[in-house]
Amino acid sequence: MALQSTSTHTKRSIRFLQIIVIGGFIIMIARIFHLQILDYETYSPLSMQNSLRMEIVHPARGLILDRNGKIIVENQPIFTITVTPSRFKSENLSLLAEILQLDQQAVENRIREAQLFSWHRTSKLFTDVSFDVFSAIQENLWQLPGIGHIIESKRYYPSGIIASHINGYLREASREEYLASDYIMLGDRIGKSGLEMRYESYLRGERGTEYIRVNAFGQSLGTYDGGSLNRHPVKGADLITTLDGSLQLLAEELMKNKRGALVAMDPHTGGILSLVSAPQFDPDRLAGRLDVQYWQNLNTDTDTPLYNRAISSRQPPGSTFKPFMGIIGLHMGLITPELEIYNPGYYTRGRRYHDLADPGNYNLEKSIAFSSNTYYFWMMDRIASRSMLNQWSELIRDFGMGPLNHIDLPFERTGIIPDSTYMNQTFGARRWGIGDLMSLGVGQGMVSVSPLQMAVATSVIANGGYRIQPHLVQAVREADGSIVYTNPGRDKVDWIKPEYLDVVTEGMKSSVLQGGTRYYAYMPHIEIAGKTGTAQNPHGENHGWFIAFAPADDPQIAIAVLMENSGFGSVSASPIASLLIEQYLTGTTTRQHIKNHVLNFRPAGSEPLSEE
Amino acid sequence: MDRGEFNWTVLAVWAGLLLFGLTAIYSATQGPVSQFLPSYITNNFSRQVIWVVISGVVLAGILFIQPKTFQEGAYIFYILGILLMIITLFFGVEVSGSKSWLRIGPFNMQTGEFTKITTILAAATYLTSRRNISSENLKTAVITVLIFLLPILLLILQNEAGVAIVYLGLLPVVLFWSGLPYGISLLMVSPAIVGYFTVVDIRLGIISAVILGLVIFLLQRRTWLTVTSIIFGALVIIGTEVALHQVLQPHQRARVEAFTNPSLDPLGSGWNVLQAKTAIGSGGLYGKGFMEGTQTQLRFLPEQWTDFIFCVIGEEFGFIGASILLTLYLLLFLKLLSMVANHKHPFAQLFIVSVTFLYFMHFLINVGSATALLPIIGIPLPFISYGGSAFLTNTILLAICLNLDMNKRSMSIYR
Repeated sequence: MALQSTSTHTKRSIRFLQIIVIGGFIIMIARIFHLQILDYETYSPLSMQNSLRMEIVHPARGLILDRNGKIIVENQPIFTITVTPSRFKSENLSLLAEILQLDQQAVENRIREAQLFSWHRTSKLFTDVSFDVFSAIQENLWQLPGIGHIIESKRYYPSGIIASHINGYLREASREEYLASDYIMLGDRIGKSGLEMRYESYLRGERGTEYIRVNAFGQSLGTYDGGSLNRHPVKGADLITTLDGSLQLLAEELMKNKRGALVAMDPHTGGILSLVSAPQFDPDRLAGRLDVQYWQNLNTDTDTPLYNRAISSRQPPGSTFKPFMGIIGLHMGLITPELEIYNPGYYTRGRRYHDLADPGNYNLEKSIAFSSNTYYFWMMDRIASRSMLNQWSELIRDFGMGPLNHIDLPFERTGIIPDSTYMNQTFGARRWGIGDLMSLGVGQGMVSVSPLQMAVATSVIANGGYRIQPHLVQAVREADGSIVYTNPGRDKVDWIKPEYLDVVTEGMKSSVLQGGTRYYAYMPHIEIAGKTGTAQNPHGENHGWFIAFAPADDPQIAIAVLMENSGFGSVSASPIASLLIEQYLTGTTTRQHIKNHVLNFRPAGSEPLSEE
Repeated sequence: MDRGEFNWTVLAVWAGLLLFGLTAIYSATQGPVSQFLPSYITNNFSRQVIWVVISGVVLAGILFIQPKTFQEGAYIFYILGILLMIITLFFGVEVSGSKSWLRIGPFNMQTGEFTKITTILAAATYLTSRRNISSENLKTAVITVLIFLLPILLLILQNEAGVAIVYLGLLPVVLFWSGLPYGISLLMVSPAIVGYFTVVDIRLGIISAVILGLVIFLLQRRTWLTVTSIIFGALVIIGTEVALHQVLQPHQRARVEAFTNPSLDPLGSGWNVLQAKTAIGSGGLYGKGFMEGTQTQLRFLPEQWTDFIFCVIGEEFGFIGASILLTLYLLLFLKLLSMVANHKHPFAQLFIVSVTFLYFMHFLINVGSATALLPIIGIPLPFISYGGSAFLTNTILLAICLNLDMNKRSMSIYR
């Protein structure tokens, strides 16, 4: 009986233990069913993400070429070390610093910066490291979790042409830019000025993606699935500019150690042949790892090298204004080519306005050739007293002086061509009179223009009255080799008659031939039509201007040169223009003494420029 | 000698499990992953093969031992086992923080493993040494507890808390089998259950304590026992909460709670939990194939040849493979329990029950850790995980069970 009960007890106990064992089995089966069947969709992608790393493949940025296909801007590889702070182990700091050949504190600071930016995202730790450092990192990657390396590229300027204000420079996109764009990613370098900025969307190309198998240490194990998921990057489009490489090179040489700007263009198309703003900055020093000291110098330099004088400067055109005044006078019927006005050495209207030209009778052609002010004071007097200021202002603007000309560069500025609205704003309604307008006639006072506007206006005379659109890029060459031409076109300015232009051109030809300019600008083999000007500068030495086109009877180049604080345009600006014209038309310069004069010329009050 | 029938099914399950294990160890150490592993780990597979061969020989040998030898030698074995552990404590080799290895010739032995055999033998011998002995008797219960406590203490000194937990889990089963009433047995395991649920969620902890109290009352209808159980439950909940929030540093707490929420400790044990779950989950129904598991082969799993070997099987052989493995275990447990049912001898019964639950505890904790049901407790999966001492120990235990089963007719219940 006892045995019986023991046996029953045993059976019950075994049953109980069986239930526990089966219960445990059911729990585990249910658990793996849950994980492997129900949650498969969750964990399968997780394991893929784990073992696959998507890497961005940056496309090569497009090149910038001159009109003959000469490369002005290309790319050069640079080596960059990255860090993913969440994976980086601080005990590896000393090893990392040793490999980077840097102070441990400096490395630690950079890593802290990266941590502040994002704990989990990969940041660039040091860009543009030497190849030796790069390969040392590559070898030691396995013992440096969280550290990575990428090859990037930086802009490289192989031709000796700097063209800093044409090309512009790249910098890392700001947080605002990155948030505002659906393409730019943090850490991307984007164009911040010049063509790099204006044509950013063409130059940057399309990013590619590459899937790489990685292990738990983040080591790359090659492409995934034979690269079937990879998307190749599309190289950025090349910009074929209208620039003439050798002309630009000479222009940069001549403008060295000066303050000023010049714009040379094809007067028929508006294609910029050369554009220089001096002083330039060195784009090479902004290309790779940011040279902080240099950047600060650029921003504090009183000569403002980052400022593009060629398209943003506002200066009175001085006597270079006279040919345009003449054309307007003819159109308005104020003057005829034959009309002569006597210059006693001054013009009187309320007060005496001086005229430095020799006393005598001046017709339009002669007034341009010898730059007589009286002729233009007389004209402006008529315009002002007949309340034709607004009409005058409109006509001036038709030459491209004053308004934006929409060159394909950022930060272009308008000039100032006063009209009654402007005068009311400046002086108060009806609180200005003829006396305030007189100096406008000789391009002084409130009227102010940029070298670009003067080059456009000069082109209008040279091309027979067509308003052209200045541009730098004539064609965009896509990655597949197809070329898209920009072809901006031109508009005839109806009221500008050829007979007006002929008179003025004759005056400009004589100006170079007989005027004060002849020593610097005259060349027996090329006929230049030009006009000097001197912009009065209340803050210091006057600015010199020269506008010209050549050959006078078949213009192929129009040019405007502004030399800040350099006195008479005939001495400072005209030799530069004539050298460039000679270079462009003949492919060489013959007058070494003129070149030496330019190279040794220094603007007033200039110290050795920081560029050197 | 009247020889009973040999239990070929159990031997087949043993063979099935060890083949599963060797396959998984091969994949985890010889697969593409081997390029990221040091050579002392890639050698694990061949070492395990040697241990399997040794274990097979030992298994066969044990089948020829007189069954009564196990009882007669039990105490001596026990003392030898304890001495071995003490020696290890002083002269042992430290491996990843645990001083539980003794170097004997070319082999590193985990002496704590062999103590499992001797402890179970000693406890089973003691509890069946006299007629009508029952763990209801306080003195008997205390001595049994002491038999277990000695190796537990030594294991804790050796920094092998994981294995100690298995002993602790085995104790209630042994006492229960020896006559401890259901209610008290349940009371003994209740702290673990209530504590576990409290870590998951304090509300679950309270609910589990109440339910356990109710079940204990229904089982034994003793007011004092029920009250004790409720008080126990409350103390465990409070203790767990205090430990979690007051005693443990936040990072330690995160480590404990990581199995419920890996993001609490994303770079420590939470990372392991997440990688383990990802490995198993991404295996799906059919698995990624032998040596094709990305989690395994790209070294995302920690300790994938021992504590996390279940993840290798789950990832590479999928739900089907993992279910087959779990079913093999269920078969092993049920076959062993039916041996118990068919055996008349109390020593054999208790011994086989103990062995079954030793395996079961390992199975539950290892698979539970790998599937994030339990906090990560590093103990091996029997017959699967790499580890010679554990494999040999588990095989010896199984061999003794087979021996006792084979000799069930010759073993007189009247000694």
